[in-house]
Parts: sequence; C-alpha cells; structure tokens
Amino acid sequence: MPSIRDTKARLLRGIVEDNLDVAQGVRIRQVARRRARVKISLWIGIIGLAVGYLSVTTQGVSRDAAPITAVAKAPAVVPIASQSVPETEAPLAYPRPIDRNAIPLTVKTVVIDPGHGGDPGAIAESGLAEKDITLDIALRLRRLLQEAPFEVLLTRDTDSRLSLDQRVQFANENKADLFLSIHVNSMEPHTIRALETYYVGPTDDPHALNLASRENKESGYSLSDYKQILEKIYVDVRREESHTAARTLHSQLFRALKQDNPQLDNRGVRTAPFVVLIGTQMPAVLMEIACLSNAEEVELLTSEQYRETIALALAQGIRHYASSLTVAARKGS
Amino acid sequence: MEESNDTLCVGIDLGTSRSSISASNSERHVIDSYVGWPMDMVARKLVKKSVLVGRDALDNRPMLDLRRPLERGIMKEGSDKDQEAVQEILRHLIGLAGIKHKSKNKLKVRAVVGVPAEAFRVNRQNLRSTLEGIADSVMLVSEPFAVAYGLEALLHALVIDIGAGTADFCVMQGRYPAEEDQKTLPNAGDAIDEQLMKLIRERHPDAQFSVHMLREWKEKWSFVGEPKQRVIVSTPIKGKATEIDITQEMRTACESILPPICETMITLLAKVEPEFQAKVRNNVILAGGTSLIAGLADAVTHALNDLGGGRATVVKDPVFAGSDGSLAIAQDASSSDWEKLSL
Repeated sequence: MPSIRDTKARLLRGIVEDNLDVAQGVRIRQVARRRARVKISLWIGIIGLAVGYLSVTTQGVSRDAAPITAVAKAPAVVPIASQSVPETEAPLAYPRPIDRNAIPLTVKTVVIDPGHGGDPGAIAESGLAEKDITLDIALRLRRLLQEAPFEVLLTRDTDSRLSLDQRVQFANENKADLFLSIHVNSMEPHTIRALETYYVGPTDDPHALNLASRENKESGYSLSDYKQILEKIYVDVRREESHTAARTLHSQLFRALKQDNPQLDNRGVRTAPFVVLIGTQMPAVLMEIACLSNAEEVELLTSEQYRETIALALAQGIRHYASSLTVAARKGS
Repeated sequence: MEESNDTLCVGIDLGTSRSSISASNSERHVIDSYVGWPMDMVARKLVKKSVLVGRDALDNRPMLDLRRPLERGIMKEGSDKDQEAVQEILRHLIGLAGIKHKSKNKLKVRAVVGVPAEAFRVNRQNLRSTLEGIADSVMLVSEPFAVAYGLEALLHALVIDIGAGTADFCVMQGRYPAEEDQKTLPNAGDAIDEQLMKLIRERHPDAQFSVHMLREWKEKWSFVGEPKQRVIVSTPIKGKATEIDITQEMRTACESILPPICETMITLLAKVEPEFQAKVRNNVILAGGTSLIAGLADAVTHALNDLGGGRATVVKDPVFAGSDGSLAIAQDASSSDWEKLSL
C-alpha cells in the first residue's frame, strides 16, 4: 500500500494539472482581449485558429472536441476563428436540416415541462417562485391545447421534484413530437425584463452558458456525462426543427406580451446546452418567459390575465408550428 | 513543503453563507459572506467606511446596498457588483490573515480556494480572475476534496461537505478524484431556509420575520429526527412580540435535504469497487456548516443501513475543515508548482 506521503504527492500532481488547465483558459482569454485593443495581430490569428479548431461554432464541430472546455475557452477568440476557418474545412460533415418534403413531420403529442418543482427555482423578492408560475402556465397551456386537438402531457402537474433526466426520459418514452420547457429568469440588474428562447446547440455567449449551467445544476448528470451528451448534439438534425419551433413560439409570445409589457426586451432565439434540450429526441425549446428579478414583471405575473395571455400565445405558437409542418408535408406529397 | 519567510500560504473556503480562512501564520477566521456599500452620503457618514464586510455589513444592512455574492457556492454571474463583492470578501479574509494592503506588502500570497465539486470550468476561471491583485498564485480545489486532504482521509472515504449553497460529495480512492467521483447538489442550507420560510408563513401568515432571523433560528435549533426540545421563537405578529412554536416546521425543513443527499451518497457508493464498498460506507465524513444540524450524522448512518450498514461522522471543526484542508494543500505544494500557477 502506498504511503500517505506518496498518495499526497500524486494528489498534488492532479491538483496542479487540473489548475494549469483552468489557468491556461484564462490566459488565452486575456491575451485575446489585450490584442483586440491593438487590432488583430498575426499572433492572435494563430491562437484564434488553434482555439477555433477546438471550439464550438454553430457551423460545424469536431467530434473529438470536449464542448464544455471549448465553450469556456472560446468567448474572446471565436469571432476571429469563425472568420478565419472556412466552413468547408469543418472536420465533421455539417449536420443537415431535415428535408421536410422527404420526411413529413406532424405534431401529435406535445410534452410541456414546467421548470423546477420541489425546488423553487428563481424566487422574487415577494416570495413568488418560478416553480409555481411555470406550473400555472403549463396547466393553462394544457387546457388550451387539448381543445386543439393535441395530446398534451405534462412532466409534472403538481409541485413535485423531478430530475432533468426524468423530464427527458418522460418526453422520450411518450414519443413526444414537440417538447417545451417553461422557465422564468432572474437577472441583474433588476431593471431587465427579458424574453429569451433557446434551442439546443453550443454557445459562446457567457450569459447563455451561465443560465444553462444554472438550470442544468440538478440534472443528475456528472460533468463527464455532459461532455458525452454534448458531443452528440452537433450531428443532431433535430436542431433545425427545434430552431423553427423556437422562432415560431418566440415571435408569437413576444408579440402577445409587448402590449401589456411594453418595456419587454426581445432577447431573441439563442442556442445553449440545456440538458432538457440535449437529451430529448424531438424538436425541443426552452423559454425564459419573464424575469422574477424585475418587480414590474412580478406584478404582471401575479395577474391571472397576464399568465393566460402567455399560455394563449404559446398555444398559438405551437399551433402555427404544427400547421407549418402539415403544409410542408402536403407540398411534399 | 517549501515555504519561506517571504510567503504566506492560505486556505480559503469561500462559502455561500460563510467564508473561512486558515493561514500558515496560524491565523484562522470565519466571516459571513456579505458585503455592503453605504446607500448614500448619510449612510457613509454613519458607518464611516466605504465598504463593509461580514457581520459588520449584516448589522448595518438597512443603510447598505447589501450583497450576498455567492450562489450555490459560486460567484453570481452577470453582475459586476457581485464580482466586486467577492473580491471584497477575499481581500477582507486575506487582510484578517495579516495582509492588509497587498500592493504594499512584500509577502507572496499562495492561496488554495475551495469551490463546489462540480463547478464549471467557466466558474473556476472567473474566480481565478477575481483573485488577481489579491493573491500571487492560486489553486482551486473541490471543497470536499480539500476536507479529505486536510483530514488525510485519502483512501476509502466519502466526504459530504454540506454548506449553505451546495452539498458536495467526493469519494476518495487514493487518487485525484475524477468527475464521476464527485457530485454537487443544490439541496443544502439555503434550501432548508426556503422550506422553513414557506412552512412558517403557511402556519403563521401574520408573523413578521426576515430571512436573517430565520437563519439565526436555524443555527440555534436545527435538527432532524425526534425533537429533544420544542423550538419556540419570538417574532412580531401585527407588531406585537409573540412566541411561536416552529418545532415541526424546523424538523420538516431540515429533513427535506436528507432524501437527495442519501440518494446521491448511495449512488456514489455503488460506483466504488465492490470489495471496498464496506470500507467507504464506514468512513462517511460530514463537513460544512449545515452538517451541524443535530442528528444529521445519525440519519445518514441510518440510511446506510439499507446498504448493509456503515457509519457517518461529523468532522471536529466543520466550519474550518475546508480552509484547513486547503491550507494543507497550499503548504504541501512545491514552489515550482506555485510558480506555474501565478496570476
């Protein structure tokens, strides 16, 4: 058996290696920032190319790249890398969108995922909890969509705790055609009122990355699990359909809310590696419908009418998305 | 160990609720992880400081823009003010250890800082950047690993460090823990506070109390299992000081973290090689402020019965176990390693 001294020496080597890895990430980012100030030099181009090769872009990604590492390294240099690396040199075949004419798609089963439950998620100063808002809107949405007619399933319809893994499994086992996860954000400064919609994909946006890391916290996945599943998403053709669904839902909701909430900031449709979007096998969208950190939005959310407006807009968005698929299928035939 | 007179090694447990520092000059301090800036000139004049940290900040909170800048064991993102607040906490801790003005002091500060077991790389990088100008070289380690290192529980042990923001797990198998050996849960002290707040508000809707009062009650009377005494607290109801019995609420809130913690413990134990599982089961170590809940070790030991028995114990000094372990790492690392990790 090795002595304590030997074991400690081995552990210290591990600590130093681990920290060097983190420290190098910081240095690359700092170098990039400094150089950007004095315009792009040849050196930064080379670093950009090297890091860009390992980093995630929405165009194409190396199967061997560890996405979380790459995402963390990427922020300052990705734009340079994306300019410098021609798309044709992407090491993997670019994931092509589904040809709607070749594979007619329809929406029969919709899984609605009210974010959090058991754990409160974000909490407003007034005590209003994300889990309650998301559940209320999901229940309204179910009522509205059942009239549609869709088969609507909720990952939870009570204040119960579900792991992200269980939510994903639920959607997959029920062979959902569309997955919508509803969340409420909390941001600083508290003046922000933002509507954000996400579909699966890598990101180099620190805000989206941090939001994803926060929402993924209770995933039940370890960091190595993340890496494995993240590697799968880049060859995933679902992304294009998810993007279409995200755009449709987002624009519908933004238009509907703008009247009651004129200062609402349209943060658009973005990609981020949320676990519920990665693991689901159908087009999947995650929406941050409001900000509990903003007192005015909290007040709006306490109104039944405002929550009904949100649910109505989401129902409308889902119907639009479904009908766009039907139209495409008809054209194909 | 290579420590000369011109270096100061420190171990820091940067916690969501409390942060501690253990230094090689024998200084040990713990502070509340709060930072506050006077709201206006009047407040500035009254508190006589431009920034207040720890208990000082909490006691003067009505006059301050008060921040608790750590969330689930990591820096809150997206706010420069919170990042500044973390810097103030770190500067204050290092100041308590004897380095008041880093720029004027020639001592090199080598800091090992504990972070949640599954902190993302981006969080670690942010923290490293935040330490610039405060320390000369920095290592970040997972909190339960630091505890294990300090206790020399390096083989066949499972450390569960339960703080305010997170419960962090680390199985020690004589090697640097891999990702699958570690786990972070958000079910910790803050989750108890939220639950307790909700339960008391449900039963006593008119009771007026703040989260700070609630935390004090929890620190005094938290427990799991059968109550040994009634928990009776005084709080205003419609302005009148009133005693209310919160025994059941306290028990329910404290016990709410047990199922996820026990489930995760069992999952991690099941991953240990079968011949060593019994040894690890008998060496479950609880650390962190929330491990001070009365009866917690017994409850975890009870959960181990389902696996064939085992034993959970609370470390002697849960508040400093993390920073002491980090200090041990700082002192054991060679100067050449520290050089590589300079800021």
